[in-house]
Amino acid sequence: MSEREFVIPIGPQHPALKEPANFMFKVEGEYVVDVVPRVGYNHRGIEKAMESRTYIQNLYLIERICGICSNAHQTCYTLNVEEVLGMEIPERAKYIRVFMAELERIHSHLLWLGVAAHEIGFDTLFFYIWRDREVVMDLLEMVSGNRVNYAMPTIGGVRRDIPADKIPEYHKMLDILAERTKYYKGVAASEKTIMNRAAGVGVLKKADAIRLSATGPNLRSCGVPNDRRRDTPYLVYDEIPFNVISYDGGDQLAQVLTRVDEVFESVKICKYCLDHLPDGPIREKFSPLGKVPEGEAVNIVEAQRGELIHYIQSRGADKPYRYKIRAPTLANIPSLVERLKGGYIADIPIVLAGIDPCFSCTDRMTMVDEGKGKQWDVTGEQLRRYGIEWYKQ
Amino acid sequence: MSLMEEHKRFLERFVTFLGEGNVIESKIPRERRVFVLIKVDKLRDAVTYLRDNEGFMHISTITGLDRGEDIELIYHLTKKDLSLNLKVRVPYDKPVVPSITDILNGAVLYEREIHDLVGVVPEGHPNLKPLVLPEHWPEDVHPLLKKWDLDSIRKKIDEVGARKE
Repeated sequence: MSEREFVIPIGPQHPALKEPANFMFKVEGEYVVDVVPRVGYNHRGIEKAMESRTYIQNLYLIERICGICSNAHQTCYTLNVEEVLGMEIPERAKYIRVFMAELERIHSHLLWLGVAAHEIGFDTLFFYIWRDREVVMDLLEMVSGNRVNYAMPTIGGVRRDIPADKIPEYHKMLDILAERTKYYKGVAASEKTIMNRAAGVGVLKKADAIRLSATGPNLRSCGVPNDRRRDTPYLVYDEIPFNVISYDGGDQLAQVLTRVDEVFESVKICKYCLDHLPDGPIREKFSPLGKVPEGEAVNIVEAQRGELIHYIQSRGADKPYRYKIRAPTLANIPSLVERLKGGYIADIPIVLAGIDPCFSCTDRMTMVDEGKGKQWDVTGEQLRRYGIEWYKQ
Repeated sequence: MSLMEEHKRFLERFVTFLGEGNVIESKIPRERRVFVLIKVDKLRDAVTYLRDNEGFMHISTITGLDRGEDIELIYHLTKKDLSLNLKVRVPYDKPVVPSITDILNGAVLYEREIHDLVGVVPEGHPNLKPLVLPEHWPEDVHPLLKKWDLDSIRKKIDEVGARKE
């Protein structure tokens, strides 16, 4: 039976979010000497599956690659299909797409901040942040009807409009988020627990980050202000004023501060979108059986975890000939390995969580003690507790 | 100078460096996108030149594509405001490209991915263990090639499984 189960996985996948991934840690005493990652346990064959589905069916398949960045995948997919179609979408739709993308970034970054607090044993902060994250979850639900998988972008525009009478309420909710995030910034910059467990931990040098093609907050926390929204703008990001956040240092504290500041910027972008929402229709027509002419396109979107790149090739059918997806976590694994090397075992959970892959909590890892030749398996939870106890000594 | 003009000049420099005979086709479909198809034996030279002279430090990914007549690999390289999609083609009977992991270290996992999924061997890669496919996966099945569909892969895996028992 277990042999048969291997039949299912074909095609590339998205190694993030509660997914199994294995890391072989070579340790010497309390130090990590080497790390060998192994991904692919949740390989679902989405790229191959897309070749046998129509463009509209794929819209909903691609949304299910990941629960956290579902909107980012859909945005990138619709941009690709529209580029090959040569379709220009209405301005209002572009603004609504940006609004959704930034709401998604806020919810993802707040979720991450909570997880990071949990990994270092600061559960009070974890509960505070997740309570406030409910504000953005409610906002997402008010706009789209869903807390996850919003199904907003569609080929030709967006599926739901933002009603004018709701806008003041949305502004109020965004204000609450900005105010709470300001408080968390104060906590992150002054609280001793965070300083002890995050400052100087899991450091990635700027040169290594560039050399290993790191992306997203993982890269920007090393002092490299690269952001696809500004560098290769898509939708209306070139019309909207916002700052690209970067912090020097490359440690976990810089990762925390980068993401906190990005929440502020996202709130600003959301408010700008609400204030400058153009009038007009929200989508162009595209038939569910619509064919796409021959052509190819590459689109790159700044998802919350980093650069997300999709490639499409169409040969004139109602299904793509080839669709390639590369999600940010895969790009961040080589630099994650670099961050872990030379660190303490007790720091593994926070460093793993640092690139926001969300597998550290379900994952099992194998410890090999170089000196004693011992080998044992631990769960993420055991390791988290180990880290907290170790720092208490 | 407009962006399109900059892209054109960059492309001219790149073609001059490689020699016109080595560039099979190229296009600039829109701002911030350039596509170039080059001969596979010039791949390492091209990537080294792009990294050292044009500032392409970042590799986003490698796409493997079964064209029906041969296999195409697309190296998606990025610098600040430009995405360059560098293509090479290899025949089915000799699916080998030189590895570029030592030039752009970020390619290390992407080369393993194309090795798994389209069966192109990046020659000189330090570690070609399966990355996304399971360990027991039949060696000659590369699922993103068009000749494999769900049924034929299933059949193949059953055969391999039966042999093991």
